[in-house]
Amino acid sequence: MGAEGFGPRIVFHIGSIPVTETVTVTWLIMFVMLVFSILATRNLKREAKGFQLVVEQIVKVINNLTKQNMGERNAVWAPFVGTLLIFIGLSNIIGLLGFRPPTADLNTTMSLSITTFVLTQVFGVKSKGLGGYTKGFMEPIPFLLPLNIIGELANPISLGFRLFGNIVAGVIIMTLLYGALGSFTESLLGLAVPLLQAGVPAVLHIYFDLFAGLLQSFIFTMLTMVFISGAME
Amino acid sequence: MSMDLTTASLRLGLVEINWTFAFQLINTLILYLILRKFLFGPVTKFMQTRENEIKDQIQHAKDMDAIALGHKAEYEGKLALAEEEGKEIVKKHTLRAENRAFEIIRAAESDIESMKLNAHRELERERVKAVNELKDQISHLTIMAASRVVEKDLNEADHKELINKFISEVGETRWQS
Repeated sequence: MGAEGFGPRIVFHIGSIPVTETVTVTWLIMFVMLVFSILATRNLKREAKGFQLVVEQIVKVINNLTKQNMGERNAVWAPFVGTLLIFIGLSNIIGLLGFRPPTADLNTTMSLSITTFVLTQVFGVKSKGLGGYTKGFMEPIPFLLPLNIIGELANPISLGFRLFGNIVAGVIIMTLLYGALGSFTESLLGLAVPLLQAGVPAVLHIYFDLFAGLLQSFIFTMLTMVFISGAME
Repeated sequence: MSMDLTTASLRLGLVEINWTFAFQLINTLILYLILRKFLFGPVTKFMQTRENEIKDQIQHAKDMDAIALGHKAEYEGKLALAEEEGKEIVKKHTLRAENRAFEIIRAAESDIESMKLNAHRELERERVKAVNELKDQISHLTIMAASRVVEKDLNEADHKELINKFISEVGETRWQS
């Protein structure tokens, strides 16, 4: 536990358990989604318009994405896919509002990827039976069993670290950039006002938060669907 | 130890697994339950219900359309049949009326013919009767005249035939007109 660095700040303690800003920002996202969901479904009309149209479109897109990638019979996975997509997407772009993205914490990304890993194994065994599931590791030849196991275990690690790395890289670069711009304004222009900090980071925010953030949330969700439906086939 | 910015900005390590992992696991589960219960469940169900309703309505409309078309064909057929029937009836009655008129005319004609015939016969009979009477009278007168002339009673029976013969030869053509 260090006082400096790029790790998440501790906001408060429950007993001796530290609660970091990763957790509090996640709570904020959860609260926003809860309010959004309740408002969205409070007054559904047969002829959709305005806000309801947007909500229906979001749900429809996620439902269709799930059906396309996991098959029609796996449409029940849509809420899980939607949770991943919405939570990771919101987490990644919440940096724009000045919060630390929860996905810039390895604990968040690993908890998501290990959830995916556990679901993959559980539903693989469920749909293939224990025999069929274990046999899957012996293919194409039993000699490859250790490699298959390593490959399977590598999935959640690569999944979690990919997301974490992308987002935390954005956070670090933006922090360094703000620091550099601050000292630049002072040394080059001789002003105490951080003039360069306004405007210049916008381009990088668009890239790191919006572009990379939405792309990574999509990649994570797509890979999750591929892993789970692949294990079930 | 003061609760200032330094203590507030204590950070955990950047790459480490700690208590946050458990928090995030629970948070993810809760968020999943929230979204499933409040967003995906109701909206998907709502859209499904609406889709089914619309499908039902379209099917219903199609059914009604088919029924209406059936009715239309049926009524058109009935209408055509009725028209045909009407034509048939008119034709039948026209024919009957024509026949009847023809019969009436023919009956009238035959009546007239027979009446004419009767009239002719009557006339003929009357004429013959009159001629005969005239013949009698003449023969009678002739005999009377002759008997005056000869002052002798002629035997009427003997001469009647003679006289008649004479009249017939003289008067037949003249009485005819």
